Amino acid sequence: MMDFLEMIFQPLRELFLQLGGFLPNLLAMLLILVLGLLLAKALELLLVKTLTALKFDSWSDRMSFTTLMRKGDLWARPSVIVGGIVFWLLAVVTLMVSLGALRLEAIDLMVTRFFGYMPRLFSAMFIFFIGYLLTGFVSRAVLIAAANSGFHYAKFLAEAVSALLTVLILAMVMEQLQIAPGIVLAAFSIVFGGIVAALAIAFGVGGIEAAKRVIERESAEKRADEPEDEIEHI
Amino acid sequence: MSDFFQTGVITTLHQLGHPSLERLEAELASFSKIRPVALVLPALYSEFEGPAMPGIVRELSKVKYLNEIVLALDSASEQQLRSVREFMSPIPTEVRIIHNKGKRIGEIYETLTRNGLDVGPQGKGRSAWLSYGYVLARAKSDVIALHDCDVITYSRELLARLCYPVANPALDYVFCKGYYSRVSNKMNGRVTRLLVTPLVRALQQLLGQHGFLLFLDSFRYPLAGEFCMTTDLARVNRIPSDWGLEVGSLAEVFRNYSPNRVCQVDIAATYDHKHQVLSADDAGKGLMKMTVDICKSLFRTLASDGVVFSDGLFKSLIVSYLRQAEDTLMKYEADATINGLAFDRHEEARAVEAFTKAISMAALAYMENPMGSPLIPNWSRVKAAIPDIFEMLIAAVEADAR
Repeated sequence: MMDFLEMIFQPLRELFLQLGGFLPNLLAMLLILVLGLLLAKALELLLVKTLTALKFDSWSDRMSFTTLMRKGDLWARPSVIVGGIVFWLLAVVTLMVSLGALRLEAIDLMVTRFFGYMPRLFSAMFIFFIGYLLTGFVSRAVLIAAANSGFHYAKFLAEAVSALLTVLILAMVMEQLQIAPGIVLAAFSIVFGGIVAALAIAFGVGGIEAAKRVIERESAEKRADEPEDEIEHI
Repeated sequence: MSDFFQTGVITTLHQLGHPSLERLEAELASFSKIRPVALVLPALYSEFEGPAMPGIVRELSKVKYLNEIVLALDSASEQQLRSVREFMSPIPTEVRIIHNKGKRIGEIYETLTRNGLDVGPQGKGRSAWLSYGYVLARAKSDVIALHDCDVITYSRELLARLCYPVANPALDYVFCKGYYSRVSNKMNGRVTRLLVTPLVRALQQLLGQHGFLLFLDSFRYPLAGEFCMTTDLARVNRIPSDWGLEVGSLAEVFRNYSPNRVCQVDIAATYDHKHQVLSADDAGKGLMKMTVDICKSLFRTLASDGVVFSDGLFKSLIVSYLRQAEDTLMKYEADATINGLAFDRHEEARAVEAFTKAISMAALAYMENPMGSPLIPNWSRVKAAIPDIFEMLIAAVEADAR
């Protein structure tokens, strides 16, 4: 009878012992999570106030970042959106750190992978930021240059350049984030190569006559520049 | 039938005989291929519950030549916006709604404010201005027509006649103001009859020939809310956000264009809309608020054109105005009598007294602060301050439409 009761209570005792060992970890996790979230919220508020004082919103309006947010249907102030992004980033980091306090092997592995992925995330964000600025700058420069030289399709050309650069930058971002890198690279090569090939064919075929005229004009000018033979044949 | 006398420095287009509406609309349909027309409707939600809006929608659903309609909706919740969208659905033309109370348009206003662009408080001026911006942003129309949404006697002939002078490339007008007689069983339109015209003439008496006063006096109904203009004009014009909207807009037209390119057109035989109460004892509402704003706008426009206002001038102006207004009142009494219209001379005299008080208050406000509330900046300046404002505006309206 005693053996039978022992068989029943033994697993329960072990469970309580394990729970006793796990509970401090759980409490530590909850504490880290709560403190981390409070800190994240405080940092968010501080960041929003600082950005507002630095007139970040007006700068964002002029640099087209606000437009980008609006096109993504984000209608808060840019500083509030940046504050929100920072808060959620810190919240995720806090969650990962707090999960580490549980000292579970599977979660430890996940946390390690997460922190290993962070540099990629930051560099992808950096590429996107710089790429967006560069795209805006280059497309505007193309628009101004083309319009000033009287090109009829200046706006179309600027939009085409902007679209090409956007494809390039998005491909770089995806590659950096290691999201299906093989597919992204193949898709990018096909799309970009296709566009370039299409342009080459369009301008090549459409420009045969123009190219012919340029070459003929060049040759005619060259012939005209050559000194005439002063010695005449009898 | 109307007379054919040409008034002042602008062109007057009368309604002579019985011009065919079908011909006008057919011609407008052909003009709209080269000069597409946008209609801007500044409206309050309450106007959709009133008697005018159903008639306006019924008439607009028969109009074929409009390229787009932009409804600037004020004082409406999300649910009311949906019901307005449903209400406007019989109209075949593309209708875009600017939901002024919505969070997206609210953010647009905030974007403008934080970049140092004061667009003033909620009202018709601000709504109309934002609608012009939206039409400019879409770049699909060359002509903008605007009329109020409280016109009980609305017919599509009003719209056709309003658009025609600017839409017709052969006429080459950049701005066209509607006019009509505000007559029911009595004469309405007290502010125009008893304030603006006598005040302008009193100012002419004191200041002598002045270009803007001559220009303003040329309009038969300078306070009419119905007008049509080119998008180029909408881009360069600044407008007041208060009741000085009509006078201030005319001042900007005068500043930017030759009177030869400005006209007024007879758009309706009868016209009736929501009437404002006089509220002679409260300068903060009703016709009193309107008259004070109009007078301030007029004084500031003249001052910006070099006229020096002093205490003495204002004192003389009040006396001169009173004489002009009393003379005008007698003329209208005679006009009402021959036409068998009711004419309450006491009420009219009370209105003149209230308007005299309003001029004094406006003069005082002007002397205290000659700059006053600034005009809403023109869209060229806004675009210079926030290069992507048009994209943001389009994104806001498109998102609200989903």
